[in-house]
Amino acid sequence: MIMEGRRTFGLLVTIVATFAIAPLIAIVYYTVVHDGHLDVSQINRMFDNDRLWHTLGNSLLLGILVILGTTILALPMALIRTKTSLHKFDWLDIILTIPFMTPPYIGSMGWILFMQNNGFLQQLMPSATWMSNTFFSLFGMVMIMSLHLFPFLYLMLKNTLLRINGSFLDAALIFGRSPWRNWTKVVLPLLVSSYVLGILLIFIKTLAEFGTPATFGSRIGFQVFTTEIHSYLSRWPVDISMATSLSLFLLSVCLVIWYFQNLIGRKYTYSVLSGKTPAVREIKDKWYIKLGAWLFVGMVLLFSIAIPYFSIIVTSLQKVRGNGLSAGNFSLASYQAVFTSGSAGLSAFLNSVVFSILTAVVTAILGLFIALYIKKGETKKQQVLDFFSLMPNIIPGIVFVVGLIMFWNAPWLPATIYNTKAMVVVTYCVLFLPYSVQYTKSSLSQLDQSIFQSVAIFGRNSWDMYRFILIPLLIQGILAGMMMTFIISMRELVAGLLILPPSVKTGATFIYSQFEQGNVGVGMAVAVITVAMTVIFMFILDWLQKRGGWASA
Amino acid sequence: MKKRCKLLVTAGVLLALTLAGCGNNQSAGSVNKDAANAKPQEVQTLTVYSAGPDGLAANIQQAFEEKTGMKVEMFQGTTGKILSRLEAEKNNPVADVVVLASVASMDGLKESDQLQSYKDAENATKINSDWSDAEGYYYGYSASALGIAYNTKNTKEAPIEWTDLAKSEWQDKINIPDPSLSGSAVDFLFGYAEAEKSAWDTIQSWKKNGLQVNGANKEALDAVITGDKNATISGVDYMAYKAKASGEPVEIVYPQSGTVVSPRAVGIMKEAKNVDGAKAYVNFLLSDEGQKLVTDAYLLPGNKEIPVKDRAALGEIPQLPVNWKGAEAKQLDILTKFNDIFR
Repeated sequence: MIMEGRRTFGLLVTIVATFAIAPLIAIVYYTVVHDGHLDVSQINRMFDNDRLWHTLGNSLLLGILVILGTTILALPMALIRTKTSLHKFDWLDIILTIPFMTPPYIGSMGWILFMQNNGFLQQLMPSATWMSNTFFSLFGMVMIMSLHLFPFLYLMLKNTLLRINGSFLDAALIFGRSPWRNWTKVVLPLLVSSYVLGILLIFIKTLAEFGTPATFGSRIGFQVFTTEIHSYLSRWPVDISMATSLSLFLLSVCLVIWYFQNLIGRKYTYSVLSGKTPAVREIKDKWYIKLGAWLFVGMVLLFSIAIPYFSIIVTSLQKVRGNGLSAGNFSLASYQAVFTSGSAGLSAFLNSVVFSILTAVVTAILGLFIALYIKKGETKKQQVLDFFSLMPNIIPGIVFVVGLIMFWNAPWLPATIYNTKAMVVVTYCVLFLPYSVQYTKSSLSQLDQSIFQSVAIFGRNSWDMYRFILIPLLIQGILAGMMMTFIISMRELVAGLLILPPSVKTGATFIYSQFEQGNVGVGMAVAVITVAMTVIFMFILDWLQKRGGWASA
Repeated sequence: MKKRCKLLVTAGVLLALTLAGCGNNQSAGSVNKDAANAKPQEVQTLTVYSAGPDGLAANIQQAFEEKTGMKVEMFQGTTGKILSRLEAEKNNPVADVVVLASVASMDGLKESDQLQSYKDAENATKINSDWSDAEGYYYGYSASALGIAYNTKNTKEAPIEWTDLAKSEWQDKINIPDPSLSGSAVDFLFGYAEAEKSAWDTIQSWKKNGLQVNGANKEALDAVITGDKNATISGVDYMAYKAKASGEPVEIVYPQSGTVVSPRAVGIMKEAKNVDGAKAYVNFLLSDEGQKLVTDAYLLPGNKEIPVKDRAALGEIPQLPVNWKGAEAKQLDILTKFNDIFR
């Protein structure tokens, strides 16, 4: 009926394969083939390297600790937002996604500036000196990363809890013995599957993270896989084949984890969506529960948003950084420097905007076609395409970036987009295609089969069906996906660091390079502008989704 | 069936348009380049890979573009980043001119046959011959001296010697730029280890005293500016002078026993597409105008006759004797040794 047939499949798979699969094949090829014949000495060289096991251990340890950290933050938060009187405050959800939307390296910079010797904390509270040393350790890194990643787990847990709230809890209340037993026998087991899925994704995201390890980790001498790959590619002496071997290794680790995640997902998924809308009960908390809940929320907001943003904003406003927090040491000079026409910061920021818009448009179009083809993923072909298009979600960005560099530098290619702006957009598209596919798929899954049937009966042709029925119904999902892609592209760092052509900078690489060679104040001003725009977009996104919910209700 | 094709074609065209749209700039650039070879009066592009300082590179680019009407595509990064980019692009070379913050690395490029000689560069004779290649493969158009940059607010007594920083009052208060990112830090380690027999003992004693390896040059200096650390070993002097000029509480000293002056050199890539443009760029850097821009950025000029402002001149800096020829291989050993100690 729609998007079927061999030709469509062929076309879509060709596009996805060229842009998403070819880079991975390039990595494998460059790792195991030398001068035209098979040679695994490269892999042996990697395994002989002590640093490999050291960084692998670091990465895995970090993953486990971040799982702990995000659990400590996300689980109470999900309970507070569903079981206490705070469930009414929906604006909290938007605020709580801000840490996730903050570019990780900027968040860590904020923390570093706050906690370092003579940092903002010590200037505000000289007695807090002892905290600095404790903070600059693995503990601080886990804390920063957990604060960055917890919103992700929180939203998953919250949605599951909301769904369980319906008839399951009613049944448990009627037939169950005690609230405690209801909890342990009904709610927790139902929660476990989404929790496990959530933490495995957190684990993969931690392994893939580059920004925080590059800023905070390098400071405490904690190397992980992503920074190791990046340093083989960008530090002298360069070792490209080592970088590709490490990428291949990281790729394998992530695929194994993803396999387990799938296994668990299939085994422990229950249908909790019973069709009954959860009854909105008036919740009356005891005073100490209410107080505790607000305290917890307050602490989380303080640590995840207030502190890093305080440092970022103050740094962007400082005249003389060495004078710290003192009256008269503030000016808007950095912002002026950014908004001077032709300034490097402004053109970098605008580059980011252009790249991100193009990425959002291209992935939205591709995502729509892919989603329409995949539908519910009933046939083998649909599943294959589904897997391919979602793959960038489970493979660390740096692996793709390395692959894309290898692929587009291959000597036999007749033409290459390497060292052009198109390369940037292609890379972003590959990295962020899963978002638009997922958003479009989920809004497609809300359409009832009867719509297609009535179109089949009354519709003139399939072209009209797209124009008058499908696209209008899907447009909110598509727009939400575009918005998300835009936000994420705006903060992309590692791809920019490795593939940007000469004379081109993005907002993220500009900020990063200000720390390396330039003016930190101007870098932070660009960061503030970027994040302010992101937050505005997030409110628009939320409004779009609310409107969507209202329209389909 | 037909309708579906129409849809796919529309999508395909849209996609192609967007991709073409963003590829446009670059392809226009290369078309220009080709056209320029045929018709010299058209705008030419020159691709320069330059290791900072940001402001200087931008000023030179602007002045050069105004003077020659050529368009400069600039990639800026640390020396390490530029070298690795050159390596990654070997199949597909892009750069015409490279400017590195380390003569040893430049010599390495020459040895691996990646540079071309430009012997009769204008003003070549005025440029410090210690910093340049005798066969004209590269010219040391500027230099920075490496010293100890310290925070004037937190330091009671300024350090005079490298070994001072092993004393207990500097414990956990010192850092050094990461030599695998900073070309000048490698130069310092190399020069210091060559000239001083006890160099590695001193480095070990710094390590015992809590020496932190702190990213690229500016990152290390920023830690001193904000008071996180009190002193940077192998601090790049022009950055310190610049920060001082903007009011930051920072000062730089050159130890009495001598320090390393790290030349920054320019060379033309062997695979350069725009050789004439590259030669013009080298000439511009060596010209009095270019040398003045260099001193405005608080760097030491390659031409000693150009007066410096608000900084120590070359003659006032106690120097360690360093031989840069063939230094690259030795630098690699030093880097490995350093990484073994600190990572």
